[in-house]
Amino acid sequence: MTDSRRQGALGLALVLPPLLVLIFLIIVPAVSAVIDTLHPPEGAGWTLTNYALILGNRVLRSDIRFSIVVTLAAVAVTFCLSYPLALYLRFTKGRLPSLLAVLFTIPLFVPVVIASFAMITFLVNHGMVSTVLYRMGIEWFPPLVYNATGIVLTEVWTTIPFAVLILGAGLQAIDDALIDGARDVGAGPLRTFVSIILPLNATPTMITLTLLFIGIFGSFTIPYLVGGNAPQMLGVTMTNYLTQYLRRLDAVTIAVIAFLIAAAVGALYVVSVSRRERHAL
Amino acid sequence: MSVAVGAAGRAGAPWFWAIAGLRRALELGAFLALAAFILGPLLTLLVWAAAGTWLFPNLLPEFSLRWWYYVLGNENVVKAIRMSFLSAPVATLLSAVICIPAAYAFARLEFPGRRLLLLSFLSANAFPKIGLYVSIATLFYRLNLMDTFAGVVMIQLINTLLFMIWIPTGTFRGINRNLEDAARDVGAGPLRTFFNITLPIALPGLIVASLFAFLAAFDEAQGTLIVGTPNHMTMPVMMYTLVLSYPQPVGAVFSVLLSLPSLLFLLLAQRYLRAGYLAAGYSL
Repeated sequence: MTDSRRQGALGLALVLPPLLVLIFLIIVPAVSAVIDTLHPPEGAGWTLTNYALILGNRVLRSDIRFSIVVTLAAVAVTFCLSYPLALYLRFTKGRLPSLLAVLFTIPLFVPVVIASFAMITFLVNHGMVSTVLYRMGIEWFPPLVYNATGIVLTEVWTTIPFAVLILGAGLQAIDDALIDGARDVGAGPLRTFVSIILPLNATPTMITLTLLFIGIFGSFTIPYLVGGNAPQMLGVTMTNYLTQYLRRLDAVTIAVIAFLIAAAVGALYVVSVSRRERHAL
Repeated sequence: MSVAVGAAGRAGAPWFWAIAGLRRALELGAFLALAAFILGPLLTLLVWAAAGTWLFPNLLPEFSLRWWYYVLGNENVVKAIRMSFLSAPVATLLSAVICIPAAYAFARLEFPGRRLLLLSFLSANAFPKIGLYVSIATLFYRLNLMDTFAGVVMIQLINTLLFMIWIPTGTFRGINRNLEDAARDVGAGPLRTFFNITLPIALPGLIVASLFAFLAAFDEAQGTLIVGTPNHMTMPVMMYTLVLSYPQPVGAVFSVLLSLPSLLFLLLAQRYLRAGYLAAGYSL
Protein backbone atom coordinates (compact mmCIF):
# COMPACT_ATOMS: atom_id res chain seq x y z
CA MET A 1 0.00 0.00 0.00
CA THR A 2 2.69 2.51 1.01
CA ASP A 3 4.74 1.26 -1.91
CA SER A 4 2.01 2.14 -4.39
CA ARG A 5 1.54 5.52 -2.69
CA ARG A 6 5.25 6.17 -3.08
CA GLN A 7 5.11 5.15 -6.73
CA GLY A 8 2.19 7.49 -7.30
CA ALA A 9 4.03 10.41 -5.74
CA LEU A 10 7.19 9.67 -7.74
CA GLY A 11 5.17 9.40 -10.95
CA LEU A 12 3.48 12.74 -10.40
CA ALA A 13 6.80 14.37 -9.50
CA LEU A 14 8.41 13.13 -12.72
CA VAL A 15 5.46 14.26 -14.84
CA LEU A 16 5.28 17.69 -13.19
CA PRO A 17 8.02 19.59 -15.14
CA PRO A 18 6.62 19.07 -18.66
CA LEU A 19 3.16 19.59 -17.25
CA LEU A 20 4.22 23.01 -15.95
CA VAL A 21 5.52 23.87 -19.42
CA LEU A 22 2.20 22.80 -20.86
CA ILE A 23 0.28 24.90 -18.34
CA PHE A 24 2.45 27.98 -18.72
CA LEU A 25 2.78 27.90 -22.51
CA ILE A 26 -0.56 26.54 -23.63
CA ILE A 27 -3.26 26.59 -20.98
CA VAL A 28 -2.49 29.95 -19.35
CA PRO A 29 -2.20 31.84 -22.69
CA ALA A 30 -5.34 30.19 -24.03
CA VAL A 31 -7.39 30.93 -20.90
CA SER A 32 -6.09 34.48 -20.48
CA ALA A 33 -6.81 35.14 -24.17
CA VAL A 34 -10.41 34.11 -23.71
CA ILE A 35 -10.74 36.23 -20.55
CA ASP A 36 -9.20 39.28 -22.27
CA THR A 37 -11.66 39.14 -25.13
CA LEU A 38 -14.67 38.76 -22.84
CA HIS A 39 -13.52 41.23 -20.20
CA PRO A 40 -11.54 44.03 -21.88
CA PRO A 41 -9.31 45.96 -19.44
CA GLU A 42 -10.71 49.39 -20.36
CA GLY A 43 -14.39 48.42 -20.26
CA ALA A 44 -16.33 47.33 -17.21
CA GLY A 45 -17.78 43.86 -16.80
CA TRP A 46 -18.21 40.97 -19.16
CA THR A 47 -19.19 41.61 -22.74
CA LEU A 48 -19.38 39.97 -26.15
CA THR A 49 -18.80 43.26 -28.01
CA ASN A 50 -15.41 42.17 -29.34
CA TYR A 51 -16.91 39.10 -30.94
CA ALA A 52 -19.83 41.10 -32.33
CA LEU A 53 -17.39 43.58 -33.88
CA ILE A 54 -15.20 40.89 -35.44
CA LEU A 55 -18.10 38.80 -36.71
CA GLY A 56 -19.83 41.95 -37.96
CA ASN A 57 -16.84 42.80 -40.15
CA ARG A 58 -17.58 41.71 -43.72
CA VAL A 59 -13.92 41.20 -44.65
CA LEU A 60 -13.27 39.04 -41.59
CA ARG A 61 -16.41 37.00 -42.24
CA SER A 62 -15.20 36.26 -45.75
CA ASP A 63 -11.78 35.30 -44.30
CA ILE A 64 -13.47 32.83 -41.96
CA ARG A 65 -15.48 31.33 -44.81
CA PHE A 66 -12.39 31.20 -47.03
CA SER A 67 -10.37 29.43 -44.28
CA ILE A 68 -13.01 26.76 -43.78
CA VAL A 69 -13.50 26.11 -47.50
CA VAL A 70 -9.77 25.97 -48.29
CA THR A 71 -9.13 23.71 -45.27
CA LEU A 72 -11.92 21.31 -46.23
CA ALA A 73 -10.66 21.17 -49.82
CA ALA A 74 -7.08 20.50 -48.73
CA VAL A 75 -8.18 17.82 -46.23
CA ALA A 76 -10.32 16.14 -48.90
CA VAL A 77 -7.54 16.08 -51.51
CA THR A 78 -4.90 14.90 -49.02
CA PHE A 79 -7.18 12.15 -47.76
CA CYS A 80 -8.17 10.94 -51.23
CA LEU A 81 -4.49 10.65 -52.17
CA SER A 82 -3.28 9.22 -48.85
CA TYR A 83 -5.80 6.46 -48.24
CA PRO A 84 -5.17 4.61 -51.53
CA LEU A 85 -1.43 5.14 -51.02
CA ALA A 86 -1.55 3.69 -47.50
CA LEU A 87 -3.60 0.73 -48.76
CA TYR A 88 -1.21 0.15 -51.62
CA LEU A 89 1.82 0.21 -49.30
CA ARG A 90 0.11 -2.14 -46.83
CA PHE A 91 -1.00 -4.79 -49.29
CA THR A 92 1.61 -4.76 -52.05
CA LYS A 93 5.19 -5.95 -51.98
CA GLY A 94 7.92 -5.27 -54.50
CA ARG A 95 10.34 -2.69 -55.79
CA LEU A 96 7.79 -0.01 -56.69
CA PRO A 97 6.10 0.03 -53.25
CA SER A 98 9.41 0.22 -51.40
CA LEU A 99 10.51 3.10 -53.64
CA LEU A 100 7.15 4.73 -52.97
CA ALA A 101 7.59 4.30 -49.22
CA VAL A 102 10.74 6.44 -49.41
CA LEU A 103 9.25 8.96 -51.83
CA PHE A 104 6.16 9.85 -49.84
CA THR A 105 8.08 10.59 -46.62
CA ILE A 106 10.30 13.23 -48.25
CA PRO A 107 8.05 16.24 -47.47
CA LEU A 108 8.23 15.30 -43.77
CA PHE A 109 11.86 16.43 -43.73
CA VAL A 110 11.33 19.69 -45.60
CA PRO A 111 10.59 22.74 -43.45
CA VAL A 112 7.28 24.34 -44.38
CA VAL A 113 8.94 27.63 -45.33
CA ILE A 114 11.11 25.84 -47.87
CA ALA A 115 8.19 23.77 -49.14
CA SER A 116 6.18 26.94 -49.77
CA PHE A 117 9.06 28.60 -51.59
CA ALA A 118 9.75 25.46 -53.66
CA MET A 119 6.08 25.32 -54.60
CA ILE A 120 6.19 28.96 -55.71
CA THR A 121 9.20 28.39 -57.99
CA PHE A 122 7.46 25.29 -59.35
CA LEU A 123 3.97 26.71 -60.00
CA VAL A 124 4.44 30.43 -60.51
CA ASN A 125 3.75 32.04 -63.87
CA HIS A 126 6.99 31.51 -65.89
CA GLY A 127 7.99 28.86 -63.31
CA MET A 128 8.82 25.23 -63.97
CA VAL A 129 5.29 23.94 -64.72
CA SER A 130 4.52 26.90 -66.92
CA THR A 131 7.82 26.43 -68.82
CA VAL A 132 7.14 22.75 -69.46
CA LEU A 133 3.55 23.45 -70.55
CA TYR A 134 4.76 26.26 -72.83
CA ARG A 135 7.22 23.88 -74.49
CA MET A 136 4.31 21.49 -75.04
CA GLY A 137 2.35 24.23 -76.74
CA ILE A 138 -0.03 25.09 -73.89
CA GLU A 139 0.24 28.82 -73.34
CA TRP A 140 -2.73 29.51 -71.10
CA PHE A 141 -3.78 27.81 -67.89
CA PRO A 142 -5.37 29.13 -64.68
CA PRO A 143 -2.94 30.74 -62.17
CA LEU A 144 -1.63 28.11 -59.74
CA VAL A 145 -0.13 30.21 -56.92
CA TYR A 146 -1.02 33.34 -54.97
CA ASN A 147 -4.59 32.02 -54.69
CA ALA A 148 -6.61 29.20 -53.07
CA THR A 149 -5.31 26.62 -55.56
CA GLY A 150 -1.73 27.34 -54.49
CA ILE A 151 -2.62 27.01 -50.80
CA VAL A 152 -4.41 23.69 -51.34
CA LEU A 153 -1.60 22.22 -53.48
CA THR A 154 1.09 23.22 -50.97
CA GLU A 155 -0.91 22.01 -47.96
CA VAL A 156 -1.44 18.67 -49.71
CA TRP A 157 2.28 18.44 -50.49
CA THR A 158 3.28 19.00 -46.86
CA THR A 159 0.60 16.83 -45.21
CA ILE A 160 0.68 13.67 -47.36
CA PRO A 161 3.42 11.89 -45.33
CA PHE A 162 1.67 12.59 -42.03
CA ALA A 163 -1.66 11.26 -43.32
CA VAL A 164 -0.14 8.15 -44.94
CA LEU A 165 1.86 7.34 -41.79
CA ILE A 166 -1.12 7.47 -39.44
CA LEU A 167 -3.45 5.64 -41.83
CA GLY A 168 -0.69 3.12 -42.58
CA ALA A 169 -0.07 2.44 -38.89
CA GLY A 170 -3.78 1.72 -38.52
CA LEU A 171 -3.84 -0.60 -41.54
CA GLN A 172 -0.75 -2.40 -40.29
CA ALA A 173 -2.65 -3.32 -37.14
CA ILE A 174 -5.32 -5.19 -39.11
CA ASP A 175 -4.71 -8.90 -38.91
CA ASP A 176 -4.02 -10.60 -42.27
CA ALA A 177 -6.09 -13.55 -41.07
CA LEU A 178 -9.25 -11.42 -41.08
CA ILE A 179 -8.69 -10.42 -44.69
CA ASP A 180 -7.84 -13.95 -45.79
CA GLY A 181 -10.90 -15.16 -43.91
CA ALA A 182 -13.14 -12.75 -45.80
CA ARG A 183 -11.67 -13.95 -49.08
CA ASP A 184 -12.20 -17.56 -48.11
CA VAL A 185 -15.91 -17.02 -47.63
CA GLY A 186 -16.08 -15.44 -51.07
CA ALA A 187 -15.88 -11.67 -50.47
CA GLY A 188 -14.52 -9.64 -53.39
CA PRO A 189 -11.94 -6.89 -52.85
CA LEU A 190 -14.54 -4.13 -52.70
CA ARG A 191 -16.59 -6.07 -50.15
CA THR A 192 -13.46 -6.82 -48.09
CA PHE A 193 -12.54 -3.16 -48.14
CA VAL A 194 -15.99 -1.87 -47.16
CA SER A 195 -16.84 -4.42 -44.48
CA ILE A 196 -13.44 -5.30 -42.98
CA ILE A 197 -10.75 -2.71 -43.65
CA LEU A 198 -12.82 0.49 -43.49
CA PRO A 199 -14.49 -0.19 -40.11
CA LEU A 200 -11.33 -1.61 -38.48
CA ASN A 201 -9.38 1.47 -39.55
CA ALA A 202 -12.11 3.90 -38.48
CA THR A 203 -10.29 5.38 -35.46
CA PRO A 204 -7.03 6.21 -37.28
CA THR A 205 -9.17 7.64 -40.07
CA MET A 206 -10.96 9.96 -37.65
CA ILE A 207 -7.66 10.97 -36.05
CA THR A 208 -6.13 11.69 -39.44
CA LEU A 209 -9.07 13.79 -40.62
CA THR A 210 -9.30 15.89 -37.45
CA LEU A 211 -5.53 16.45 -37.14
CA LEU A 212 -5.38 17.41 -40.81
CA PHE A 213 -8.23 19.87 -40.34
CA ILE A 214 -6.73 21.50 -37.25
CA GLY A 215 -3.22 21.61 -38.72
CA ILE A 216 -4.27 23.14 -42.01
CA PHE A 217 -6.85 25.47 -40.46
CA GLY A 218 -4.22 26.88 -38.11
CA SER A 219 -1.49 27.23 -40.71
CA PHE A 220 0.20 30.53 -41.36
CA THR A 221 3.32 30.03 -43.45
CA ILE A 222 1.66 28.46 -46.48
CA PRO A 223 -1.22 30.95 -46.89
CA TYR A 224 1.16 33.83 -46.05
CA LEU A 225 3.66 32.93 -48.76
CA VAL A 226 1.56 31.05 -51.33
CA GLY A 227 -1.87 32.69 -50.85
CA GLY A 228 -3.27 35.86 -52.40
CA ASN A 229 -4.06 39.20 -50.77
CA ALA A 230 -7.76 38.84 -50.00
CA PRO A 231 -9.59 36.86 -48.85
CA GLN A 232 -6.86 35.35 -46.66
CA MET A 233 -6.82 32.48 -44.19
CA LEU A 234 -7.34 33.32 -40.51
CA GLY A 235 -3.74 32.53 -39.56
CA VAL A 236 -2.53 35.36 -41.77
CA THR A 237 -5.36 37.68 -40.74
CA MET A 238 -4.67 37.35 -37.01
CA THR A 239 -0.91 37.74 -37.45
CA ASN A 240 -1.50 40.92 -39.48
CA TYR A 241 -3.76 42.28 -36.75
CA LEU A 242 -1.08 41.55 -34.15
CA THR A 243 2.10 42.65 -35.92
CA GLN A 244 0.99 45.05 -38.67
CA TYR A 245 -2.10 46.86 -37.36
CA LEU A 246 -0.99 46.49 -33.70
CA ARG A 247 -4.53 45.59 -32.61
CA ARG A 248 -3.71 42.92 -30.07
CA LEU A 249 -7.21 42.42 -28.71
CA ASP A 250 -8.73 41.97 -32.18
CA ALA A 251 -5.98 39.49 -33.04
CA VAL A 252 -6.75 37.47 -29.91
CA THR A 253 -10.49 37.58 -30.58
CA ILE A 254 -9.90 36.14 -34.05
CA ALA A 255 -7.64 33.52 -32.46
CA VAL A 256 -10.40 32.50 -30.04
CA ILE A 257 -12.89 32.19 -32.91
CA ALA A 258 -10.37 29.95 -34.68
CA PHE A 259 -9.96 27.95 -31.43
CA LEU A 260 -13.70 27.43 -31.23
CA ILE A 261 -13.98 26.20 -34.81
CA ALA A 262 -11.04 23.86 -34.26
CA ALA A 263 -12.37 22.78 -30.85
CA ALA A 264 -15.54 21.50 -32.45
CA VAL A 265 -13.38 19.33 -34.71
CA GLY A 266 -10.87 18.57 -31.95
CA ALA A 267 -13.60 17.08 -29.76
CA LEU A 268 -13.91 14.29 -32.31
CA TYR A 269 -10.16 13.71 -32.08
CA VAL A 270 -10.01 13.45 -28.30
CA VAL A 271 -12.97 11.06 -28.26
CA SER A 272 -11.35 8.69 -30.75
CA VAL A 273 -7.89 8.84 -29.11
CA SER A 274 -9.21 8.20 -25.62
CA ARG A 275 -11.16 5.24 -26.93
CA ARG A 276 -7.89 3.94 -28.39
CA GLU A 277 -5.95 4.57 -25.17
CA ARG A 278 -8.53 2.69 -23.11
CA HIS A 279 -7.97 -0.35 -25.32
CA ALA A 280 -4.20 -0.02 -25.05
CA LEU A 281 -4.05 0.04 -21.26
CA MET B 1 -11.11 3.83 -56.18
CA SER B 2 -9.41 1.53 -58.65
CA VAL B 3 -6.17 1.85 -56.72
CA ALA B 4 -7.95 1.00 -53.48
CA VAL B 5 -9.60 -2.00 -55.02
CA GLY B 6 -6.32 -3.04 -56.55
CA ALA B 7 -4.55 -2.65 -53.26
CA ALA B 8 -6.93 -5.06 -51.64
CA GLY B 9 -6.21 -7.30 -54.63
CA ARG B 10 -4.79 -10.02 -52.43
CA ALA B 11 -8.34 -10.91 -51.61
CA GLY B 12 -9.28 -11.44 -55.29
CA ALA B 13 -8.95 -8.94 -58.10
CA PRO B 14 -11.27 -7.02 -60.41
CA TRP B 15 -11.33 -8.36 -63.97
CA PHE B 16 -8.97 -5.81 -65.51
CA TRP B 17 -6.40 -6.48 -62.81
CA ALA B 18 -5.73 -9.79 -64.51
CA ILE B 19 -4.32 -7.94 -67.54
CA ALA B 20 -0.79 -7.65 -66.23
CA GLY B 21 0.28 -4.94 -68.68
CA LEU B 22 -2.59 -2.63 -67.80
CA ARG B 23 -1.92 -3.09 -64.12
CA ARG B 24 1.76 -2.26 -64.46
CA ALA B 25 0.93 0.78 -66.58
CA LEU B 26 -1.60 2.06 -64.02
CA GLU B 27 0.83 1.56 -61.15
CA LEU B 28 3.71 3.17 -62.99
CA GLY B 29 1.58 6.11 -64.15
CA ALA B 30 0.36 6.83 -60.62
CA PHE B 31 3.90 6.49 -59.29
CA LEU B 32 5.35 8.91 -61.85
CA ALA B 33 2.60 11.46 -61.24
CA LEU B 34 3.23 11.36 -57.49
CA ALA B 35 7.00 11.54 -58.01
CA ALA B 36 6.62 14.60 -60.24
CA PHE B 37 4.36 16.28 -57.69
CA ILE B 38 6.67 15.59 -54.74
CA LEU B 39 10.09 15.97 -56.35
CA GLY B 40 9.25 18.64 -58.95
CA PRO B 41 9.20 21.62 -56.57
CA LEU B 42 12.34 20.48 -54.74
CA LEU B 43 14.32 19.93 -57.95
CA THR B 44 13.21 23.31 -59.30
CA LEU B 45 14.45 24.88 -56.08
CA LEU B 46 17.80 23.08 -56.34
CA VAL B 47 18.32 24.31 -59.89
CA TRP B 48 17.50 27.86 -58.78
CA ALA B 49 20.16 27.59 -56.07
CA ALA B 50 22.79 27.07 -58.76
CA ALA B 51 21.39 29.68 -61.13
CA GLY B 52 22.81 33.06 -61.98
CA THR B 53 19.90 34.12 -64.14
CA TRP B 54 17.04 31.98 -65.41
CA LEU B 55 14.89 33.40 -68.16
CA PHE B 56 11.55 32.06 -69.38
CA PRO B 57 11.10 29.83 -71.40
CA ASN B 58 14.52 28.23 -71.01
CA LEU B 59 14.39 24.81 -69.40
CA LEU B 60 17.70 25.40 -67.63
CA PRO B 61 19.31 28.56 -66.25
CA GLU B 62 22.72 30.06 -66.80
CA PHE B 63 24.65 28.51 -63.91
CA SER B 64 26.64 30.60 -61.45
CA LEU B 65 27.58 30.52 -57.79
CA ARG B 66 27.55 34.28 -57.27
CA TRP B 67 24.39 34.22 -55.13
CA TRP B 68 26.16 31.93 -52.66
CA TYR B 69 28.76 34.63 -52.02
CA TYR B 70 25.96 37.15 -51.70
CA VAL B 71 24.04 35.09 -49.09
CA LEU B 72 27.02 33.98 -47.03
CA GLY B 73 28.42 37.52 -47.05
CA ASN B 74 25.18 38.94 -45.65
CA GLU B 75 25.54 39.88 -42.00
CA ASN B 76 21.88 39.26 -41.13
CA VAL B 77 22.01 35.77 -42.60
CA VAL B 78 25.05 34.85 -40.53
CA LYS B 79 23.33 36.22 -37.44
CA ALA B 80 20.24 34.10 -38.14
CA ILE B 81 22.36 30.97 -38.64
CA ARG B 82 24.04 31.57 -35.29
CA MET B 83 20.69 32.17 -33.57
CA SER B 84 19.23 28.95 -35.01
CA PHE B 85 22.13 26.77 -33.97
CA LEU B 86 22.09 28.31 -30.51
CA SER B 87 18.36 28.14 -29.73
CA ALA B 88 17.32 24.79 -31.25
CA PRO B 89 19.91 22.69 -29.32
CA VAL B 90 19.01 24.50 -26.08
CA ALA B 91 15.30 23.82 -26.64
CA THR B 92 15.96 20.16 -27.51
CA LEU B 93 18.19 19.57 -24.49
CA LEU B 94 15.73 21.27 -22.16
CA SER B 95 12.92 19.20 -23.63
CA ALA B 96 14.88 15.95 -23.19
CA VAL B 97 15.74 16.73 -19.58
CA ILE B 98 12.16 17.43 -18.54
CA CYS B 99 10.31 14.99 -20.81
CA ILE B 100 12.26 11.73 -20.73
CA PRO B 101 11.77 11.12 -16.97
CA ALA B 102 8.10 11.96 -17.44
CA ALA B 103 7.87 9.51 -20.34
CA TYR B 104 9.35 6.81 -18.11
CA ALA B 105 6.74 7.59 -15.47
CA PHE B 106 3.95 7.41 -18.06
CA ALA B 107 5.19 4.04 -19.25
CA ARG B 108 6.10 2.34 -15.98
CA LEU B 109 4.60 3.97 -12.89
CA GLU B 110 1.05 3.89 -11.62
CA PHE B 111 -0.23 7.28 -10.51
CA PRO B 112 -3.61 9.00 -10.40
CA GLY B 113 -4.70 10.75 -13.61
CA ARG B 114 -2.00 9.10 -15.70
CA ARG B 115 -4.12 8.57 -18.80
CA LEU B 116 -5.62 12.05 -18.73
CA LEU B 117 -2.22 13.70 -18.22
CA LEU B 118 -0.69 11.76 -21.11
CA LEU B 119 -3.57 12.83 -23.33
CA SER B 120 -3.19 16.44 -22.22
CA PHE B 121 0.11 16.57 -24.10
CA LEU B 122 -1.85 16.24 -27.30
CA SER B 123 -3.48 19.57 -26.55
CA ALA B 124 -0.63 21.43 -28.27
CA ASN B 125 -1.88 19.78 -31.44
CA ALA B 126 -5.54 20.34 -30.68
CA PHE B 127 -5.24 24.11 -31.14
CA PRO B 128 -4.63 25.97 -34.36
CA LYS B 129 -0.92 26.73 -33.86
CA ILE B 130 -0.99 30.31 -35.01
CA GLY B 131 -3.86 31.18 -32.66
CA LEU B 132 -1.82 29.74 -29.82
CA TYR B 133 1.21 31.86 -30.77
CA VAL B 134 -0.89 35.01 -30.90
CA SER B 135 -2.20 34.24 -27.39
CA ILE B 136 1.31 33.47 -26.15
CA ALA B 137 2.52 36.76 -27.59
CA THR B 138 0.02 38.70 -25.48
CA LEU B 139 1.28 36.85 -22.39
CA PHE B 140 4.92 37.47 -23.38
CA TYR B 141 4.25 41.22 -23.78
CA ARG B 142 3.25 41.33 -20.13
CA LEU B 143 6.24 39.26 -18.98
CA ASN B 144 8.73 41.15 -21.17
CA LEU B 145 9.63 37.96 -22.99
CA MET B 146 9.00 39.40 -26.46
CA ASP B 147 12.14 39.59 -28.60
CA THR B 148 14.27 37.64 -26.10
CA PHE B 149 16.31 34.45 -26.42
CA ALA B 150 14.27 32.79 -23.64
CA GLY B 151 11.03 33.60 -25.45
CA VAL B 152 12.29 32.02 -28.68
CA VAL B 153 13.45 28.88 -26.84
CA MET B 154 10.04 28.55 -25.15
CA ILE B 155 8.22 28.76 -28.49
CA GLN B 156 10.48 26.03 -29.86
CA LEU B 157 9.97 23.96 -26.71
CA ILE B 158 6.21 23.75 -27.36
CA ASN B 159 6.89 22.07 -30.68
CA THR B 160 9.20 19.47 -29.14
CA LEU B 161 6.88 18.35 -26.30
CA LEU B 162 4.73 15.92 -28.26
CA PHE B 163 7.73 14.12 -29.79
CA MET B 164 9.64 13.98 -26.50
CA ILE B 165 6.70 12.61 -24.49
CA TRP B 166 4.96 10.22 -26.87
CA ILE B 167 7.87 8.53 -28.67
CA PRO B 168 9.85 7.80 -25.44
CA THR B 169 6.67 6.64 -23.66
CA GLY B 170 6.11 4.15 -26.48
CA THR B 171 9.74 3.10 -26.34
CA PHE B 172 9.76 2.49 -22.58
CA ARG B 173 6.46 0.64 -22.83
CA GLY B 174 7.97 -1.67 -25.44
CA ILE B 175 10.82 -2.84 -23.17
CA ASN B 176 10.27 -6.24 -21.67
CA ARG B 177 9.70 -5.84 -17.93
CA ASN B 178 11.30 -9.24 -17.22
CA LEU B 179 14.73 -7.82 -18.07
CA GLU B 180 14.37 -5.14 -15.43
CA ASP B 181 12.91 -7.59 -12.89
CA ALA B 182 15.85 -9.94 -13.47
CA ALA B 183 18.33 -7.15 -12.74
CA ARG B 184 16.44 -6.28 -9.57
CA ASP B 185 16.46 -9.96 -8.54
CA VAL B 186 20.24 -10.16 -8.69
CA GLY B 187 20.43 -7.15 -6.42
CA ALA B 188 20.62 -4.03 -8.64
CA GLY B 189 18.92 -0.96 -7.21
CA PRO B 190 16.28 0.92 -9.18
CA LEU B 191 18.71 3.60 -10.44
CA ARG B 192 21.32 1.04 -11.45
CA THR B 193 18.64 -1.00 -13.24
CA PHE B 194 17.49 2.09 -15.11
CA PHE B 195 20.95 3.18 -16.25
CA ASN B 196 22.36 -0.29 -16.99
CA ILE B 197 19.32 -2.05 -18.46
CA THR B 198 16.44 0.25 -19.41
CA LEU B 199 18.35 3.21 -20.82
CA PRO B 200 20.63 1.29 -23.22
CA ILE B 201 17.66 -0.61 -24.67
CA ALA B 202 15.60 2.57 -25.01
CA LEU B 203 18.43 4.62 -26.53
CA PRO B 204 17.51 4.30 -30.23
CA GLY B 205 13.96 5.45 -29.52
CA LEU B 206 15.23 8.34 -27.40
CA ILE B 207 17.66 9.37 -30.15
CA VAL B 208 14.93 9.38 -32.77
CA ALA B 209 12.70 11.41 -30.44
CA SER B 210 15.50 13.93 -29.86
CA LEU B 211 16.21 14.26 -33.57
CA PHE B 212 12.53 14.86 -34.29
CA ALA B 213 12.41 17.38 -31.48
CA PHE B 214 15.51 19.14 -32.79
CA LEU B 215 14.02 19.43 -36.27
CA ALA B 216 10.70 20.65 -34.87
CA ALA B 217 12.56 23.34 -32.89
CA PHE B 218 14.95 24.19 -35.72
CA ASP B 219 12.19 24.53 -38.33
CA GLU B 220 9.80 26.54 -36.16
CA ALA B 221 9.03 29.72 -38.08
CA GLN B 222 5.60 31.23 -37.46
CA GLY B 223 5.84 31.51 -33.67
CA THR B 224 9.39 32.84 -33.75
CA LEU B 225 8.35 35.41 -36.36
CA ILE B 226 5.81 36.78 -33.87
CA VAL B 227 7.88 36.45 -30.69
CA GLY B 228 11.45 36.96 -31.93
CA THR B 229 11.27 39.88 -34.38
CA PRO B 230 13.27 41.99 -34.94
CA ASN B 231 16.41 40.99 -33.02
CA HIS B 232 16.03 37.25 -32.52
CA MET B 233 15.44 35.97 -36.04
CA THR B 234 16.21 32.31 -36.70
CA MET B 235 16.95 30.88 -40.15
CA PRO B 236 13.33 29.91 -40.99
CA VAL B 237 12.15 33.38 -39.96
CA MET B 238 14.81 34.91 -42.21
CA MET B 239 13.31 32.83 -45.03
CA TYR B 240 10.08 34.89 -44.95
CA THR B 241 11.99 38.06 -45.77
CA LEU B 242 14.15 36.34 -48.38
CA VAL B 243 11.15 34.78 -50.14
CA LEU B 244 9.11 37.96 -50.18
CA SER B 245 11.66 40.60 -51.06
CA TYR B 246 14.78 39.11 -52.65
CA PRO B 247 15.53 37.60 -56.09
CA GLN B 248 14.63 33.88 -56.43
CA PRO B 249 18.21 32.50 -56.23
CA VAL B 250 18.75 34.10 -52.80
CA GLY B 251 15.80 32.21 -51.32
CA ALA B 252 16.93 29.04 -53.07
CA VAL B 253 20.50 29.23 -51.76
CA PHE B 254 19.23 29.87 -48.24
CA SER B 255 16.76 26.97 -48.54
CA VAL B 256 19.64 24.62 -49.29
CA LEU B 257 21.49 25.88 -46.19
CA LEU B 258 18.35 25.49 -44.09
CA SER B 259 17.78 21.90 -45.30
CA LEU B 260 21.24 20.68 -44.32
CA PRO B 261 20.24 19.66 -40.75
CA SER B 262 17.25 17.71 -42.09
CA LEU B 263 19.43 15.90 -44.62
CA LEU B 264 21.98 15.09 -41.95
CA PHE B 265 19.15 13.80 -39.77
CA LEU B 266 17.91 11.52 -42.54
CA LEU B 267 21.38 10.03 -42.91
CA LEU B 268 21.94 9.64 -39.17
CA ALA B 269 18.56 8.19 -38.33
CA GLN B 270 18.02 6.02 -41.41
CA ARG B 271 18.89 2.86 -39.52
CA TYR B 272 16.36 3.57 -36.77
CA LEU B 273 13.69 4.91 -39.11
CA ARG B 274 13.75 1.62 -40.96
CA ALA B 275 13.26 -0.18 -37.68
CA GLY B 276 9.82 1.40 -37.50
CA TYR B 277 10.33 4.19 -34.99
CA LEU B 278 8.90 6.66 -37.46
CA ALA B 279 5.67 4.72 -37.69
CA ALA B 280 5.71 4.21 -33.91
CA GLY B 281 5.77 7.96 -33.41
CA TYR B 282 2.63 8.27 -35.50
CA SER B 283 0.61 5.32 -34.26
CA LEU B 284 -0.90 7.32 -31.41
